[in-house]
Amino acid sequence: MMKYLIVYALLGFGLYIPYKSSPKAQTENNQKVADLEISLGRNLDFKMPNLTIKGASAKVGEEIVKTGFGESSEGKKAKKQSKHFVCTSCHNVVKEDPNLMKNDPEQRLIYTVEKGIPYLQGTTLYGAVNRNTYYNGDYYKKYGNLVDKARNDVREAIQLCAVECAQGRKLEPWEIESILAYLWTIGLKVSDLDLNTEENKLISDPNKTNMDKTLALEMVRGKYLDKSDATFTPPPTDRKVGNGLIGDAKNGYLFYKQSCLHCHYQKKYSYLHLDESGMSRAYLRNAVGTYHNNSIYQVTRWGVAPKAGKRSYMPQYTSQKMSEQQLADLITYLDIGVPKDIKK
Amino acid sequence: MKFKHLAIIYTFIVLIMAVGIKINAQSKVFQTFKDTRVINSHSTETLKAGKMDIRIGHRFGDLAGEAGGWPSFYGLESAQDIMTGVEYGVNNGLTVGVTRYKGSGPLKQNVNGMAKVKILEQDLNGKNSFSLAMVGITTFSTMAKSETEGVLNYFAKTNHRLSYHLEMIMARKFGNRFSLQLSSAITHRNIVSSSEENSTISLGAASRIQMTKAMGLIFDIKKPFLPNKNGFQHWPAGVGFEWETGGGHVFQLNVTNATGLNETDYIPYTNSDWTKGQFRLGFTISRLFTI
Repeated sequence: MMKYLIVYALLGFGLYIPYKSSPKAQTENNQKVADLEISLGRNLDFKMPNLTIKGASAKVGEEIVKTGFGESSEGKKAKKQSKHFVCTSCHNVVKEDPNLMKNDPEQRLIYTVEKGIPYLQGTTLYGAVNRNTYYNGDYYKKYGNLVDKARNDVREAIQLCAVECAQGRKLEPWEIESILAYLWTIGLKVSDLDLNTEENKLISDPNKTNMDKTLALEMVRGKYLDKSDATFTPPPTDRKVGNGLIGDAKNGYLFYKQSCLHCHYQKKYSYLHLDESGMSRAYLRNAVGTYHNNSIYQVTRWGVAPKAGKRSYMPQYTSQKMSEQQLADLITYLDIGVPKDIKK
Repeated sequence: MKFKHLAIIYTFIVLIMAVGIKINAQSKVFQTFKDTRVINSHSTETLKAGKMDIRIGHRFGDLAGEAGGWPSFYGLESAQDIMTGVEYGVNNGLTVGVTRYKGSGPLKQNVNGMAKVKILEQDLNGKNSFSLAMVGITTFSTMAKSETEGVLNYFAKTNHRLSYHLEMIMARKFGNRFSLQLSSAITHRNIVSSSEENSTISLGAASRIQMTKAMGLIFDIKKPFLPNKNGFQHWPAGVGFEWETGGGHVFQLNVTNATGLNETDYIPYTNSDWTKGQFRLGFTISRLFTI
């Protein structure tokens, strides 16, 4: 009898392990951070898309974000939102930071290279609904009081991005709600937060008290940045001297390839074609020390403004999107070219 | 079947083909030529979808020879031909345009309709090793009707104001710096002098050597097979520089013996001889807009 009991206990224990781990696996793979936070008491109703508006859907939102237009409720293709850009010109729609608690451009570059995604001036739309504020930091210097409404209101932020950043028309309510619905589909996942066993235990405990829930919510919200900060940085005072840092040509090449060429290769979003040829490099290198629009210092730190007839402009890199070291790396790449070990 | 009927049918066919052409620019060789023209000739380049190209071109008087030199300030004080026009990229493979030319041949005040179709595009993976384009041009002379019977602008019929040009262009970019194109064309004028044929076959070549990112050296030449005009002086040819400003401008400065700017003009009517100083400065400015 004892023998059967032991076998039974072993079998039961064996079954118990996968049973215990399965909710954790489900949490790791699928659960959205926003859903978890709502379950822990956070109110996100104001960010929920209003899908009762005719024509609004996440599918349409994805089309607008990626192509510039979606199908309206009448089944007609709406007018393209912008003739110059789409959202993905400047924003990724996947995770682009290895550590969501840090805004580290150098780590981000390595991560985007590993993942084969572009390195862009705009913050990824992945997790946009999880952030509290938009157009942070120095963006008021660029857009003035237009950021007042956009900073705390995701819908206003989408509209500001459409009209000012993309230099396009105003979005209709069904388009805004569609984009918002799509952004909800690309919200942060719990698996992105890299929780340890204790933290996982805290959020998955079915018998949480209100105090536990508050603690769990604080813990979860502390696992990612709730805003994407922006600091405008001027170019070096003496452009012939540079910023005094020693650059790494390999990193400069990666930055050029992942970021500059995203817009400039074959004039995808730009009037200027750049490629990996020596001619492109020489063209940029010759202007580095000048105050011309071709100067890397000028365009990376101040950007290029839209003009009548040439609305396609270049947004500047904030220090969160391009560190001083990366700037030095890029200049070094222009000076000496592609290191042989990575050219292949 | 008359030439004009063939021309109309042919134009329809290439336009129908163009509707189906979807060119994915990212996998294709980029800018075999920087502009849709290489001095006098059309290149294989078409405008990107939604781009509008405002073009202004100029051919001055003879730089040297009897008509040139100091009295005409090396030709700068006279204008052999002036072009203003607009072209538009319907899609990445079809460009249409309307252009007005002063005209340097016997028919002047010309209005041109143009359609260019990119049939093949050289790609980066070697599947297509060259680009192929077809351009069709119809020229309508709006000059006043002459009272003198026998001159070309007597215009006994309205049809006599019309000329046509159809050209097949093949081009290849070799590396980053060298491009070459060959072309064959037929130019048909509804009214010609009694010593000429209405239809003229021509062959052409053009090339670009990219010297820096912004500047290139360009050449073009045409050989028209015209009866009674077999000398080299009747070959319109040009050499020039091409600048791209990076802001959507392409600027060409050239020297050519062609007096006209349009194919229906300079192919049949070039009579200028390089060896007699009958060549001129010319320029073309192209400005792209996104509309």
